[in-house]
Amino acid sequence: MDITFTEEQEMLRKSASDFLATECPKTKVRELEEDEKGYSPEIWKKMAGLGWMGLVIPEEYDGMGMTFQDLTILLEQMGRSILPGPFTATVVEGAIPILEAGSEEQKRELLPKIANGESIFTMAILEPSGLYDASGIAVKATAQGDSFVIKGTKVFVEMANVADYLICVTRTKEGLSPEDGITLFIVDAKAPGVHCEVIPTIAMDKLCEVRFEDVAVPKKNMLGELDKGWPIVQRVTQKGAIAKCAESIGGMQVAVDMTIAYCKERVQYDRPIGAFQALQHIMADMWIVTQTSKYLVYQAAWMESEGVPCAMEVAMAKAYVNETYKWVTERAVSLHGGIGTSREHDIPLYYRRAKAADTAFGSTDFQRELVASRIGLIS
Amino acid sequence: MDFKLTDEQVKLRKEFFDVCEELAKQRPEGFTGLEGVYDTDEGWEYHLWCAKEFAKRGWLALGWPSEYGGQGTIMDKVFLAEATGYHDVPGVDIFGEGMLAPTLFAVASEEIKREFLPSIASGERMWCELWSEPNAGSDLAALTTSAVRKGDEYVINGQKAWSTGAHRAHWAFALVRTDPHADRKQKGITFILFDMKTPGVTVNPLLYMDTGHLYNEVFLDDVRVPAKNIVGEENEGWRVTQTLAAFERSNLGAIMAMHRQLEHLVDYCNETKVKGEPLARNPLIRNRLAQIACELWAAHALAYRIADAQSKNEMALFDASAVKVFSGELQARMAQLGTDILGPYGQVKQSKWASFEGLYEKWYQQSFILNISMGTNEIQRNIIAWYGLGLQRMK
Repeated sequence: MDITFTEEQEMLRKSASDFLATECPKTKVRELEEDEKGYSPEIWKKMAGLGWMGLVIPEEYDGMGMTFQDLTILLEQMGRSILPGPFTATVVEGAIPILEAGSEEQKRELLPKIANGESIFTMAILEPSGLYDASGIAVKATAQGDSFVIKGTKVFVEMANVADYLICVTRTKEGLSPEDGITLFIVDAKAPGVHCEVIPTIAMDKLCEVRFEDVAVPKKNMLGELDKGWPIVQRVTQKGAIAKCAESIGGMQVAVDMTIAYCKERVQYDRPIGAFQALQHIMADMWIVTQTSKYLVYQAAWMESEGVPCAMEVAMAKAYVNETYKWVTERAVSLHGGIGTSREHDIPLYYRRAKAADTAFGSTDFQRELVASRIGLIS
Repeated sequence: MDFKLTDEQVKLRKEFFDVCEELAKQRPEGFTGLEGVYDTDEGWEYHLWCAKEFAKRGWLALGWPSEYGGQGTIMDKVFLAEATGYHDVPGVDIFGEGMLAPTLFAVASEEIKREFLPSIASGERMWCELWSEPNAGSDLAALTTSAVRKGDEYVINGQKAWSTGAHRAHWAFALVRTDPHADRKQKGITFILFDMKTPGVTVNPLLYMDTGHLYNEVFLDDVRVPAKNIVGEENEGWRVTQTLAAFERSNLGAIMAMHRQLEHLVDYCNETKVKGEPLARNPLIRNRLAQIACELWAAHALAYRIADAQSKNEMALFDASAVKVFSGELQARMAQLGTDILGPYGQVKQSKWASFEGLYEKWYQQSFILNISMGTNEIQRNIIAWYGLGLQRMK
């Protein structure tokens, strides 16, 4: 056991932190929130130069061959800077499933494009029901000659507005169980019949409605096997949940640090408000839950990275951090007082993202239900 | 970052769990926790017997230097705490083995170490802590019990309060004031050891809310103690108490106890039917148990990080405060949830109407033992705010 980061991991963390501090100040975050694309192609290009999109892609596909745990270190830093853009979508919903389930041809063609920053990916999972389980997948793909034709609507597809490829989760068969009969397709985002519209959301983070109007996709673009795609989606949502948690603990720590700094500086009744115990104990609690959140996430990330089965631990981390991130940022806004509610202040950027993070890859109650089964409650 | 235990650690941890599982078969009915140790004669006998069982395996000297008969590492001690916590087995004296031994290693003279460590390792001598007083609780340095040097002895007079197990313990380590004129109240305090059978020591029970006999008030009237029994220098006792960092602080014992409680509740909900349906299928129950499980795993992950930091000598005091506050308050929530799930039976003491030997009724009351003793959770939050977060100290 060694619950500290290795020297290499510390270096990765430091370089990410330095890069993001320079490239992604909060003025940039606010600017990108109101930008049509929602990301900065210049920053994206520089990130590709640092090898970030290829971090977990093996060297033979032009990546850096690092671990999933290393990726979460990067994500924690991105969560600190709340960098807007298609990083998680491209890496966790694109590169990783292609790496795990793609054919050799798909890997050779697509992974280098991801690693070098040329292609943006995202995965279209949710449908208007908003369910992350297999019963929520109703968009149909029907075989027609050498193609499948996709018809239906996906929602909350992250950064689909700028994606080059969408991995669409479709139903190809009404099986015995909802999990049976699900197939994934890699769809060219510019293909005829793909229509994308940005949904206005709390984090202004470009979650999109994507309508597939009889979109023809060549059979060779199937990712994984016909009708057997659900486990790929599960692995994506599991890794996505950890990724979101990693970003969240980064954001929580910043919210705590900003609040402490503000309370040391803000003077009322002739003293810094941080000298009042009423506020000190709130900040102590904010720090405590940030600590518990961090190590719960680190442990889940380590298990995932090592290939140790961790469906329960990941669900626990997501269920827990969903709530702690919201609670910490709510307290942070409150302790900042009036100024904490303004558009110009940085703290509400985190408060809004905490809500967005909770909805991604499974809400608290969804995750708690997974936990309930895993701790042995019969269903 | 790596959470994996070595093969050796896995093996040793399993041995601890196996032995504790065996010892648990002898537990008196209704026995639990510290109150179990001190309240009844059967509980105390059971504690002494478990201590002997551990001692003969060398497990009361885990992490000690080998020249004092020690073996293993502080991580091993953490694993033993997990095993005793999970099986609710006593035998490790939280005062002697837990607090005094690390203090002696940190500050005591060779003579003191040679005199007092062997009987801790052998499980023969049990200790109590005489620190708090009626008017010195959180503000411990306000203590007034006096010790006046007369020849080769100190003569001690005063009153101690909330002294856990003082009615059972063989010896005490006490904080006494040796210089009433010091310019700061933290100065002039001395850390001293004495036999609880010394003339002038009177122990009266301070019954806990559940009628259990855990705490005591201890009156000290002209108690004569050999001067050589002080630990550290005279008037430097406050500094001696600050070696707290050396104590095992992960709280993994309490955390593993909660794992066991959660397993019990899950089994209970699977087996208990309400209106023909197992309680386990009730979505509210599922949600509440899942929520507490998440919190428990979070406490566990942080506790391992504290244990890891401590074993590398890198633990800050406020780090330990975080896990104490979180796991202690979690224990209160867990007990509340347990009593809620049991419905009207959640209030029942050990009797023919009780579920789980009435343990939830006890735990509902006992969580304060963790949250008030050893620095209340409010004091722990001060420690975090002042030393961890750098906020201004209360004057």
